[in-house]
Amino acid sequence: MRRFQAVSLMLTLTAATAAYAESALNVYSVNYPLQYFAQRIGGEHVNAVFPAPADVDPAYWVPDADVIGAYQQADLILLNGAGYASWMDKVSLPKRGQVNTSASFRDAYIPMADKVTHSHGPGGEHEHTGFAFTTWLDFVQAGQQAEAVCVAIKKSDPDRAADYEAGCQSVALDLAALDSAMMAVSRTYQGAPLMGSHPVYQYLARRYTLNLRSVHWEPHDTPTVEQWSEFRHTLSEHPARWMLWEAEPLAETAEQLEALGVRVVVFDPCGNRPDEGDWLSVMRSNIQALTDARSAH
Amino acid sequence: MRDSFYLAWQYIRFNRWKSITLLACVMIIAFLPLALELLLDESEKQLVDRATSTPLVVGARGSALDLVMNALYFGEQVPRRMTMAAADAIEATDLALPIPMYVRFRARGAPIVGTTLDYFDFRGLRIADGRNLAMMGECVLGAAVAEQLELQPGNDIVSSPENLFDLAGIYPLKMTVVGVLERAHSSDDLAIFVDIKTTWIIQGLGHGHQDMEKVTDPQSILGRSDTSITASAKLFHYTEITPDNVNSFHFHGGLAEYPITAVLVEPHDDKSGTILQGRYIGDEATEQIIRPREVVDELLANIFRIKNLLDAVILLVGLATLLAITLVFALSIRLRSREMDTVFRLGCRRATMVRLVGAEIVTIVAAGALAGLLAMLILQQFASELVRSLIIR
Repeated sequence: MRRFQAVSLMLTLTAATAAYAESALNVYSVNYPLQYFAQRIGGEHVNAVFPAPADVDPAYWVPDADVIGAYQQADLILLNGAGYASWMDKVSLPKRGQVNTSASFRDAYIPMADKVTHSHGPGGEHEHTGFAFTTWLDFVQAGQQAEAVCVAIKKSDPDRAADYEAGCQSVALDLAALDSAMMAVSRTYQGAPLMGSHPVYQYLARRYTLNLRSVHWEPHDTPTVEQWSEFRHTLSEHPARWMLWEAEPLAETAEQLEALGVRVVVFDPCGNRPDEGDWLSVMRSNIQALTDARSAH
Repeated sequence: MRDSFYLAWQYIRFNRWKSITLLACVMIIAFLPLALELLLDESEKQLVDRATSTPLVVGARGSALDLVMNALYFGEQVPRRMTMAAADAIEATDLALPIPMYVRFRARGAPIVGTTLDYFDFRGLRIADGRNLAMMGECVLGAAVAEQLELQPGNDIVSSPENLFDLAGIYPLKMTVVGVLERAHSSDDLAIFVDIKTTWIIQGLGHGHQDMEKVTDPQSILGRSDTSITASAKLFHYTEITPDNVNSFHFHGGLAEYPITAVLVEPHDDKSGTILQGRYIGDEATEQIIRPREVVDELLANIFRIKNLLDAVILLVGLATLLAITLVFALSIRLRSREMDTVFRLGCRRATMVRLVGAEIVTIVAAGALAGLLAMLILQQFASELVRSLIIR
């Protein structure tokens, strides 16, 4: 009798899982923040997928044909906009279901400063320009992106619009709280110079009026002699005491920075899934790290 | 009676070339009007089916017929170009799904249709072999093209230059066949489908080349500064998109400014379609929105006017042929006067002679009609393909 009950339970669970998989909205995204928003908003009714491996930068990742095939089958494809995930320009995806989550503030995209003009052939001179794309580090913009996700999910599944509304409000509240907290921290810096290890903090710096300059260093690489020399030169003009890093740099790099009077502050943009926690907890940690760094000085 | 047909048959065999000529005349008289009717019916069916299943088409102002024939049937006449901004504008209205089309280039005689994946859903096209488009530089073939060109997934096909004298212009692009569509019994069977971005690469608007910041060959780089690099024509351009070089492919400027020939518009509902049509009214509009069914109905009306004329011509030619056949038989009877004399001397009546000639005429006419019927049956088998490849193109 017990065995029969166990088998019945398993069959019921299998049927329920299959039914869920069939009825859940299949939402693919081009980065982790959008997947996080979609899952928070959609809850159990949404199967939010971000298929990039955990160890890649989603902005420069290029999916293979099988993964592109999975994107093609999705009910919704959430795009970050601002030129994020340039692989989108090189693959075939249906227009139906694509949502540019940053379309509402496309006029506020920040053009990239370093551009090289070149010319060849009959097309004449042209530039490979682009925009800064870590849009979600301005939490007001992140709120607008979450709102776009919310609208798209509700439109795709209007029967559950009421269910999704609770998720939308919850995400909006969390993002508003992050914005307030970040605003409060930024006031404590009062225009003090900051360095960024990578040009990914443009929107953060603009929204929270951080006096930030960026270099192009990778946490897992040791900066070259030329890079250190250039850095020292920058410090002479821009005497920063804090440097934002996407991840903890090599110990040797941190020591050299310390010797220059620059403290490492990890501010993870969290474009990909974190090892621990989720997007919200990582952003809270980021803000806490900035707060701690300021208090330490 | 059997004797009469036996003698008639022997006469036909003996005069086989004359008989074959007469039979051919009868066959043509029977076949021509029926074949014309069949082909026109098939054309009408194909034109109307496709036009009815395409609610609206947006294109640059100009010939509505060229626009419809190119966008729906991939005709060789390329309409005036507009930009991708037209498709983006429709999308922004949230009234319809725009499906951009760029039908300008060809490969081994077949049209290259640049579009988005939405086209396959819109037309209900399914992959029979291989997979759908995933990357730029890939193509999916219509069933008939795959059969005619003997191509299958894994093979390559190279785009044709627009003209032989454009030596310094567009580079032919080697495209990889990744899939073959199920037979759709429409113009889709005769087309090569690519992502619309691939057509822009064929045109040279997007391209892949060596990283100019890494090229050291002084002959490839004419000038270099902190903000500018000028390359010479020696700079190596890729003529095939592979997973290894796909990241080097890029487009200059905004894609909204890139050319397309039409936008197939799938309104969310009738009301949306009507609202959208209203937005293209006015002299200042640079684009036109048309209902393909109306254009096709107008085309069919013209075709049927021509058909009436053709019917009259066929009737006159048929009458002339009948008169010629009558003359041939009359002359034949005169030429056979000695043979008839012999028949009469053998004791046959005049009626026997009439039966003999009648049997000959009935045999030839029946054989001609049968041949005409056979030709009609064969034509019926290929009418659909014939209409697509000969009439709708």
